[in-house]
Amino acid sequence: MSLLAVFFLTSCSQEKNGPVIGISFETLQAEYWVASLESIKAECERNGASYIESVADGDANRQFEQVSNFISRRVDGIIIAPKDAHTVIPIIKAANKANIPIAIYNRVPVENSGEYITVVADNYEIAKSAVDHMGRIAREKGGEYKAMILIGDLGDINAINRRKGFEDALVEYSDIVELVAEVPTEWNQEKALAGVTNALQANPDINFIFSSSDFLFPSIVSALKNLDKYHPVGHEDHVLLGGFDGDAMAYKMLMEGYLDVDGVQDVHFECVEAVQSIFDMIEGKEANMRIRDPGFVIHQGNIDEFAGRMWGADFASE
Amino acid sequence: MIAQLKEHYQKSDNSILYLCVLYYIVMSFITPGFFSLGNNWNLLFNLMPLVIVSIGQTCVMLTGGIDLSITSTIALSSVVGASFMSSDSGLGFNPSVSTFIGIGVMLVVGAAIGLVNGVAVTKLGMPAFMVTLTTMMFFSGFAVWLTESQNIYNLPDSFLRISSMSMRDVPIPVVAALGVMLIAYFILNTTVIGEWIYAVGLNVKVARISGVNVDGTIISCYVFCGVCAALGAVLYTSRLETGSPIMGQNILLDVIGAVVIGGTSLFGGKGKVKWTLFGVLFISLLDNGLNLIGLSYFLIMIVKGLVILFAAILNVLKERPSLAS
Repeated sequence: MSLLAVFFLTSCSQEKNGPVIGISFETLQAEYWVASLESIKAECERNGASYIESVADGDANRQFEQVSNFISRRVDGIIIAPKDAHTVIPIIKAANKANIPIAIYNRVPVENSGEYITVVADNYEIAKSAVDHMGRIAREKGGEYKAMILIGDLGDINAINRRKGFEDALVEYSDIVELVAEVPTEWNQEKALAGVTNALQANPDINFIFSSSDFLFPSIVSALKNLDKYHPVGHEDHVLLGGFDGDAMAYKMLMEGYLDVDGVQDVHFECVEAVQSIFDMIEGKEANMRIRDPGFVIHQGNIDEFAGRMWGADFASE
Repeated sequence: MIAQLKEHYQKSDNSILYLCVLYYIVMSFITPGFFSLGNNWNLLFNLMPLVIVSIGQTCVMLTGGIDLSITSTIALSSVVGASFMSSDSGLGFNPSVSTFIGIGVMLVVGAAIGLVNGVAVTKLGMPAFMVTLTTMMFFSGFAVWLTESQNIYNLPDSFLRISSMSMRDVPIPVVAALGVMLIAYFILNTTVIGEWIYAVGLNVKVARISGVNVDGTIISCYVFCGVCAALGAVLYTSRLETGSPIMGQNILLDVIGAVVIGGTSLFGGKGKVKWTLFGVLFISLLDNGLNLIGLSYFLIMIVKGLVILFAAILNVLKERPSLAS
């Protein structure tokens, strides 16, 4: 009974006017997702909307059920960060059938006939630019490099594009950089740690590492520290490090001089655009259906200029 | 009056159902959209796969065992069945035939995993917890290895329609769940093997001395549980239009929670099909209501965890006198 009383009080306190947005996230495993969820909620509030949120804990079926709940509640719009590009299709179908506008955040669905907004960073270009900058540093320093990439879940189109960006950028530096290890992580830190440790044992001369997501850096740092290979930029044994996302750990590593380059997704831009487009659709206006975040690359040379735009800076200060 | 109600509630077979009704009424007043036709349908559809999987788990728990491998059974059935059906696999069957074969293969995979569990528990004398924990890890890993962690798409339309099709205006998932419940009810209440299941759960030594085929009974329950998990996988895979090596990874708590909340004893020998149905209904209502009320993810996890813990404590307290005797 006390449980019901808590629900009663909670629901009374949440009564608001204005549109209701259903926000469904597949996971909150990485800081990027937490920052995105908070930013979308803040943007909804700024626009006078209320929201209901759900997190599927990595379970596509649960996410389907949660969004079905939103639809049965007749929310005015849905913003979803889906598990992957395929399992979101039945969800788009269900939202379209109920005439509820839906925005797909961060992961582009496979081609389908549904009507939906997509908001996604240009994973390929951002990764390519970041790795290109690592290549330039390598060329300036001279010598030969053995490279390793930590790959995300290959069912995730973002992971595929980041890997492709990495590979295409390396072509220009094939005379000095040789790819010796590709570590599949499935976006899992434990798998990343095991993979990086194995790769470094098999190839102790690896000195060029790109992580497809910043949230895997703890695994890389741990493995490098164990081998006494974790040194700041400028040290003779420094391993060139690059990442993708712009989280708090990357921010701290950049500021402390351990990270060379980071490709940053502009979370604020993505969330503002996602919410704005949903509102445009709700109001019957013409909405921007394909939103692309160009992101930016931050490195030791432009740190003063870009550090403030890095979303991880807010988390680091907390 | 309150004391009488309390006593009736404690003694009643339907106490969880009363709780569900109370919860439903209260949430209908305080949660927008909760009391609506759309949400009721939604609840029903979300309920069905969980009912099927939980009924299988109930049979195992009635024997005093537990099957932790249902999540890996769902995952492996999903990817193996989807591999047979997917147009990408190049097997070249026509869609109806591949749907038929795919579902058959999924059920066989479930039965096979159940058989492995049952044989390990009975013939090797290993604790059910250890056996099914091990098979959960093994078959989960096997599903990921088999697919290289990739989902399987492009399943035939005839398969995808299963989750939305109706048979005489009754949706197929409802037909499937009703079928499983009726079979389980029939077995448990009208057959000798049903009596054996309860007997094994109450006291395995006495059952053996009384001439009960203990090993056969336990193995049958694990096989039935595996088949139920595979049937759940059919519905989940059809609904998501995808075979996934991590499908069902997070439903173990819901399944065991539903069975325990329903009142089935963790120690075996006591439980009913309708209790599990009420337990699943409660878990689904809880999920649905908490989701719609707009509580944060973390708060929902805390509330669900507390409710299941509370149910488990009640379960143990109810059993204590009989344990002592």
